Amino acid sequence: MRNYENLVIVKPTLTAEEIQESIKAIEEVITSNGGEIATTDTMGMRKLAYPIDKNERGHFHVIYYSAEPSVISEIERRFRINEELLRFVTIKYDTNREVTAWKELVKKALKKAEAPKVEAAPKAEEAPVAEEKTEAPAEETAPAAE
Amino acid sequence: MAERRKYKKRYCKYCEAKVDFIDYKDVAGLRFSLSERYKIMPRRLTGNCKRHQDMVATVIKRARAAALVPYTVTRKQVVTAPFENLK
Repeated sequence: MRNYENLVIVKPTLTAEEIQESIKAIEEVITSNGGEIATTDTMGMRKLAYPIDKNERGHFHVIYYSAEPSVISEIERRFRINEELLRFVTIKYDTNREVTAWKELVKKALKKAEAPKVEAAPKAEEAPVAEEKTEAPAEETAPAAE
Repeated sequence: MAERRKYKKRYCKYCEAKVDFIDYKDVAGLRFSLSERYKIMPRRLTGNCKRHQDMVATVIKRARAAALVPYTVTRKQVVTAPFENLK
């Protein structure tokens, strides 16, 4: 198993639910090919540095996973067929230094995923999980503030 | 006078910060090695060491493929908003 990272840019014309669905489908492609997703990181809707297919914006999503090197070509083939993707970038983390960097990035992404759940309003993705976690601290903090 | 330096003494900022790995998604960190037209700055101007310059170059190319950093910037874009793409 080797460590990889995939950055995918989803079309901005889709609605929020459709974006979540397509991201789920993308993750499904990786898991169905025997990849183990370590964590995911949503960078959200942001401006592209240059227009891709006449789109000025895009929804960025990063997936950290480990998989056999042989399945990468299959995953990329499936990504190419997917018309909801503007762009994908696959990065291999191979050498010792890169692997440690990959672990650091995963840790960072996990932390980032946890932090906004407690503080800010839950985003559209992971709605059931996020809501449960945000409601609990909100109730706790409210009496303390009074 | 012959020993006077022509340029400021250069040092590698990445070596000083002991950078082992650069993340291509961290665009603000790449700004240092990019010109205002988003060209990769040469080593003789930034003072980067060979090892870090190689890292920076690959990382910038990855960021370009991921549409985080533009490949080229036209005159119009330079005038209107050179740094807006970073946000």
